[in-house]
Amino acid sequence: MVANALQPIVRMAATADRTKPIVVPDYCKGCGRCIDACEHHCIEPGRDIDPATGLVPVRIHLEHCTACGLCFDACPEPYGLRPAFFDAEGSERPRVARHDLAGTPTPEPIPDAVAALPPGQPLVIKGVYASAVGAILAGCRHFFGYPITPSTEGAELMARLLPHLDGQFVQAVSEVAAINMMYGAGAAGVRATTFTSSPGFSLMLEGLSYMVGATVPGVVVNVMRGGPGLGNIAPGQSDIKLACRGLGHGDTHAIVLAPSTPQEMLDLTMLAFDLSFKYRNPVIVLADGYVAQMTGRVTLPRTMVRPGVPAWAVAGDEAHRRNLITSIYLSETELEARNERLFAKYARITDAEPRADLFQCDDAELLIVACNTPARMAKGAVRTLRAQGVKAGLFRPLTLWPFPICALAPVLSRARRVVVVEASDGQLEDEMRLAISRADLATPSITSVNRYGGVLPSHDEIVSRVIGVARPHALGATA
Amino acid sequence: MSAFYERFDRHDGGEGVKGRSTHYCPGCGHGLAHKYLAEAVESLGVQNRTVAISPVGCAVFLYYYIDAGNVQAAHGRASAVALGQKLARPDSIVVSYQGDGDLASIGLAEILQAAQLGIPITVIFVNNAIYGMTGGQMAPTTLMGQRTATSPEGRGRLMGEPLRMAELIAQLDGPVYVERVALYDNKQRVKARRAITKGIRLQVENRGFAFVEVLSECPLHLGLTPADAERWIKEKMLPVFPLGVKKDVSASRDVWPAWKAPNMDPAAVHAVVGGATDRVPRFCTRFPRELWGPVDDDIALKLAGAGGDGAQTAAMIVARAAINEGFDATHIPSYGPESRGGTSYADVRIAEDEVLSPAAPRPNILLAFNAPSLAKFEPLVADGGIAIYDSTVVPDPPRPADAIHRVPVAATAIAQELGRVTVKNTVALGALAAATRLFPAETFLTAIRQALGDKPALLELNERAFRLGAASVCGR
Ligand code: SF4
Ligand code: SF4
Ligand code: SF4
Repeated sequence: MVANALQPIVRMAATADRTKPIVVPDYCKGCGRCIDACEHHCIEPGRDIDPATGLVPVRIHLEHCTACGLCFDACPEPYGLRPAFFDAEGSERPRVARHDLAGTPTPEPIPDAVAALPPGQPLVIKGVYASAVGAILAGCRHFFGYPITPSTEGAELMARLLPHLDGQFVQAVSEVAAINMMYGAGAAGVRATTFTSSPGFSLMLEGLSYMVGATVPGVVVNVMRGGPGLGNIAPGQSDIKLACRGLGHGDTHAIVLAPSTPQEMLDLTMLAFDLSFKYRNPVIVLADGYVAQMTGRVTLPRTMVRPGVPAWAVAGDEAHRRNLITSIYLSETELEARNERLFAKYARITDAEPRADLFQCDDAELLIVACNTPARMAKGAVRTLRAQGVKAGLFRPLTLWPFPICALAPVLSRARRVVVVEASDGQLEDEMRLAISRADLATPSITSVNRYGGVLPSHDEIVSRVIGVARPHALGATA
Repeated sequence: MSAFYERFDRHDGGEGVKGRSTHYCPGCGHGLAHKYLAEAVESLGVQNRTVAISPVGCAVFLYYYIDAGNVQAAHGRASAVALGQKLARPDSIVVSYQGDGDLASIGLAEILQAAQLGIPITVIFVNNAIYGMTGGQMAPTTLMGQRTATSPEGRGRLMGEPLRMAELIAQLDGPVYVERVALYDNKQRVKARRAITKGIRLQVENRGFAFVEVLSECPLHLGLTPADAERWIKEKMLPVFPLGVKKDVSASRDVWPAWKAPNMDPAAVHAVVGGATDRVPRFCTRFPRELWGPVDDDIALKLAGAGGDGAQTAAMIVARAAINEGFDATHIPSYGPESRGGTSYADVRIAEDEVLSPAAPRPNILLAFNAPSLAKFEPLVADGGIAIYDSTVVPDPPRPADAIHRVPVAATAIAQELGRVTVKNTVALGALAAATRLFPAETFLTAIRQALGDKPALLELNERAFRLGAASVCGR
């Protein structure tokens, strides 16, 4: 039918600037919007069902057609009604170079570069500032955030510094908006960050799930405070479960880094950006209110990063035009395959990225496990305990996910008692237990020193609890 | 000519009919809005720069069709994603395409912020008065009395009146151009095409935020033929959603300044983050371990006063002084609401190699600026410790219970004599330095100079304050 109608059209098209329409039956849905659009009644409802679509395409008679073009503008289908310079199959004769997805070459990545920094004196700054400085040294020039204590000063510093480096600071309308601005900037392949604190982190979880699903990098610094609900603004560690097991819906994971000092706030934030882009996945820097608010000595690294442009970025230029950032996989098989790729990535991360800091663990008979600020108290406790003849050691995970079980396993074989010190109801302990169980290790005897509500376990509490564990008889005698 | 993909490879693999047709129902207005978008992008010559943000809703698969950079956003968040994308790559032409549920319900906060910021992005808002994708539920733009799956008896009072987004957006300062258009006849379609093209052109010209609301047919959930759906829009929607330009200041508004590329120059970065290259002189010969009383591996200080007494600044200077001498130190403030108006206190710990617990529950040194601070913290001072207090403010404190040294310093009075009461914390620091011999005076003065780096005018005053504070406790 189309082929028969085509001959005269092509002739007419050749004689006029404007072109007359043809209907491509397979691509016409028979909606009839073009019928009313034609003031010359050239188009009428069809009668035959198109076998390819099961719909009834319209029919067109061009005797009275003036090539006015109104029918084109009324057709909701890109290829339903086409100017006659299309051939009978509906293939356009190219007028400009067109890109077919399959035919477009993959863009070349522009790699990150490293630039030397002048040597200098240590800074004396608070943890959240150190994290902001780390972000800048990692090449982050985009900050999207919403003020929330005790993370806000980091945002304030970014607001002060970024304009001097032609960066962008946006105070978002909410944490929900902030994380989605991160998603947009990350999709464009730039290094973006946000600082938040526990209730704000809850609001970001939806966005984090989308980032994981769409493999969009970005660094979220979460300064944990007391919860649940509004709780208080004092330090806490009760978002470990969220960060390690609950990043929104779906089977999500992100590397979770746990700094203990202002220096580590800087170092781990810089590392977070590298890991985030290496794995195309968000990374969480999980601090507590104390390490964030604490001022200390922070030595700048000798180098900074000048970010490149990843090949996958939607960078708004010709090279990256084919790129798509999405977390949609409609068919079950596709989504399953895609999730398997995600899980393979998690497995690579679990192999390559666990990090831990071990203090006097070599001959330890009793292991204290702690992270963030409580690990500092725990380290002091180890010193005190050693002075009292208790062979204690500190195992401090730097990555809470993946939990550094490989580093823990050898010391566990000697130290059969473990004391977990944390400002949460066993969230760190649960991560450790899960790691031990997944590694098929024998579960040691585990005791915990927990404080909540914004209180951190103190040096003295840890020492007395450990002595109770190490010398139960002595304790029994006094109890 | 348009920026549609030649073949819709992402539409079910692009095989067969799907490779050339949309997923929309017959007669759906989305296809027209897509077409005008695709043609505008092509005619403005910005196809390579364009980034389309797909929403959640029936238009979730915008990225099947538009041959440009594509980013799919979470429900309601497209305009936040668009902002992030635009700021990340200011040369890109970012189009946020959103439906009524997406933009006017769950994404209200995001669109209002994006509009008010006014940064050049283009928002195409497709208003069809219904939730299409989820199966015909009530939208924020559903008409009063209109029956939907979630307003089976018709939208009633309890469900609120329909939201007029174009008018809402137009009364904000940010946008340069807001228009509502329709698709129901040739005339309207010409206007719709023009409006969408203009909305994108204003972004290409870096002029500002543009918002085009498109009244669009959803024949499926209206239960109407496409022709009747067109009539329904004209007769039923128009009275509630009048067409036309709601705001246009595009001719008078200054264009946005050119967007600069982020500065990645190491020297600039080093300067901006406060990196200092000068060596700081040292005056200490060793860690002040046995100066007074028993200290373990580190020294704990607590500095407390009312907000504005300068306890935090003094604490910072002590920590900086220690770090300048090559020791480790931490300073942790009390922060948040508790530090507003009431007592503000700071814990400082100094260690030869590494501070462990940053808190100072049993300080060796207390510096108290008022009576409540002295009363609260003096009992916590470790045996053999020192409590220094402002004797102008606390002239006659009750006797301490424990064996601690008390050092009064008339910090406020001395500061007042100097003509500036705010230097009382420096006076107190001088007293602290002299009474504890923690570090040499020069160590403190160096840290004070660093802290005043950007206010050299205050340097001399502070040095005098420090020395007067030190002199006032000397020889006790
Ligand atoms: S080009 Fe004009 S006259 Fe010809 S069929 Fe289309 S609407 Fe009718
Ligand atoms: S408007 Fe397009 S899809 Fe609808 S009937 Fe006409 S040609 Fe077919
Ligand atoms: S449900 Fe309505 S809006 Fe969605 S595709 Fe169908 S007609 Fe269009």
